[in-house]
Amino acid sequence: MSAVQLAASSSQQTPHRRRSARPLVCLLVYAILLLGLAVTLVPFIWILLTSLKPASEIVRIPPTFFPERWTLDSYRTIFTDPKVPLARFYFNSAFVAISRVLITLFTSSLAGYIFAKYTFRGKNLLFGFILVQLMIPFQVVMIPAYLILVQLRLIDTLWGLIIPSMVDAFGIFLMRQFISTFPNDLLDAARIDGAGEFTLYRRVVMPNLGAPLATLGIFTFMATWNDYLWPLIVITTHERRTLPLLLTWYTSQHGQRYDLTMAASILVLLPILVVYIFFQRWIVRGVALTGMK
Amino acid sequence: MTQAVMARHAGEPRKERSGLRPGQRVFVWGSLIPIFLYLGVFALFPMVWVVVLSFFNYSPVRVGDGPLGLGGRNPFIGLDNFAAMFADTRAGQIFRISVKNTLIFAFLVLVVNLAITLPLAVLVESVHNRVKGLFRAIYFLPTVSSAVAVAIMWGYVYHPQQGLLNNFIKLIGLTPPKAWLTDPSAFVFGVPLAMIAVIIAYVWMDFGYNLVIFIAALQGIPHELRDAAHIDGATGWSEFFHITIPLLRPTLLLVCTLTMISSFQVFVIFQVMTGGGPQNQTRSLTMEIYENAFRYQAMGWAASMSLVLFAMVLIVTLVQFRILRTDWEY
Repeated sequence: MSAVQLAASSSQQTPHRRRSARPLVCLLVYAILLLGLAVTLVPFIWILLTSLKPASEIVRIPPTFFPERWTLDSYRTIFTDPKVPLARFYFNSAFVAISRVLITLFTSSLAGYIFAKYTFRGKNLLFGFILVQLMIPFQVVMIPAYLILVQLRLIDTLWGLIIPSMVDAFGIFLMRQFISTFPNDLLDAARIDGAGEFTLYRRVVMPNLGAPLATLGIFTFMATWNDYLWPLIVITTHERRTLPLLLTWYTSQHGQRYDLTMAASILVLLPILVVYIFFQRWIVRGVALTGMK
Repeated sequence: MTQAVMARHAGEPRKERSGLRPGQRVFVWGSLIPIFLYLGVFALFPMVWVVVLSFFNYSPVRVGDGPLGLGGRNPFIGLDNFAAMFADTRAGQIFRISVKNTLIFAFLVLVVNLAITLPLAVLVESVHNRVKGLFRAIYFLPTVSSAVAVAIMWGYVYHPQQGLLNNFIKLIGLTPPKAWLTDPSAFVFGVPLAMIAVIIAYVWMDFGYNLVIFIAALQGIPHELRDAAHIDGATGWSEFFHITIPLLRPTLLLVCTLTMISSFQVFVIFQVMTGGGPQNQTRSLTMEIYENAFRYQAMGWAASMSLVLFAMVLIVTLVQFRILRTDWEY
């Protein structure tokens, strides 16, 4: 207690010395941060190393951390398994994710622009409906959503994963917030130049939406890529599975073969990690900005 | 076109109030009508329909004779589904267990999450800018990872013999539990061990969100305030409790609400790691809804349970609004 007070009183006189005067505190801070880093990374590293071990080494007790013999056997087994046409599953996941991103970006920016820049009767009511939508968890409406898909004959199709989520309330909300700050003069200038309203949206508004479109696009992509519950309900045919579904199916087939299941996990994690490495700044900033979850 | 522009300029003050010119009308309603027709089918209808279903003993395998398969062999049963939640039947018991589990999970996740993210955010914020970004990026990594892969990974980490965790515990000379995920008789402070294990895995996966939000909020605190506190003799601890925490109150409230609401909805990690076991100790409400609706096809019963989930989310949201309204700090 008194030591802390002493440190404080010394920093009071010379604020510059504060950091250098407490090397121990600084060291402790870094020690804790590095410990956190280890806890975050070690599970990933461990499954990566597990996937590089031969099958005989997996069952050893106690297990080895680093492989005694490095091998790509597990990956080779997965790639050559006729029951696992990997390209097919990557295509399924990518097709659904990219379609949803493109459609969501279009509908969100269009509706967000209209709610931000036009005045019309019923606007508050309609936007209120969007806000209410934000509060409804997917699990609450998934049963009726399923029954609608049955009526539309979209069960067990990839379109069944895309069509129910073409309009995103959060996306509309985010875009409206951003476009509200957009100067009206620019829009009016384009109008005087004879631009129609849709041209205005396409040529003036859209090119200025880079940052929010990127943020919304990346989040939609990751959410779709990692989605599990809805595909689990909709998809039944093996060839139409998305990657997370493939992963649980594969794990159920090869329960104790941890070299294989961990290699499969790595294969599912890899694309999203690549996306993350490239767009890390946008993603982290997006969360900080929107409190997205 | 120019005429329209001229007309708009002539009627400038009127435009703000009375809405749209003909060209704009086509654009606005031409865009909004399809969007809201779509939302009517895929958003409004499901909200209404889930309420309707909760009053029926509905199963899609039976054909009813009314509209949308209701009536006849899918009879209207009034509030019976809700009464069944309190009844002393197997289904009622499991439902109540799942609600209890979900509440325990959400509460403990919130406590553990805040206990980690808030101090960690302060530490990350205090280090040099160049490494700050790196720490933040890596801490955020688990949140972008596929939940299924993370759940499978943690299932292996918890493996009794081969798992990383038990071998680490042995390495530092302690006795590990004999099974993390499958032993129904293991409890820690009255909470099932399997539940603790799921909570740890979930917090590991999810803490990056709150961390990033807290770091952003800390960066928003004006330096003058901290400097003033230092001049008044505030130490690290008292600065944290008397300056940082009060100024973070709105953020803290937002984070608590979001964390609670998203914890209510967790499905994947329970389903993949424990499947609700052992002895329903980790059965969550969303799992219960999913299994009844899509495995047992008891969709009326499941619909009434999903309304309970909605009520839980609504209560947390309303409490948040209430606190926000009555409690403006600055």
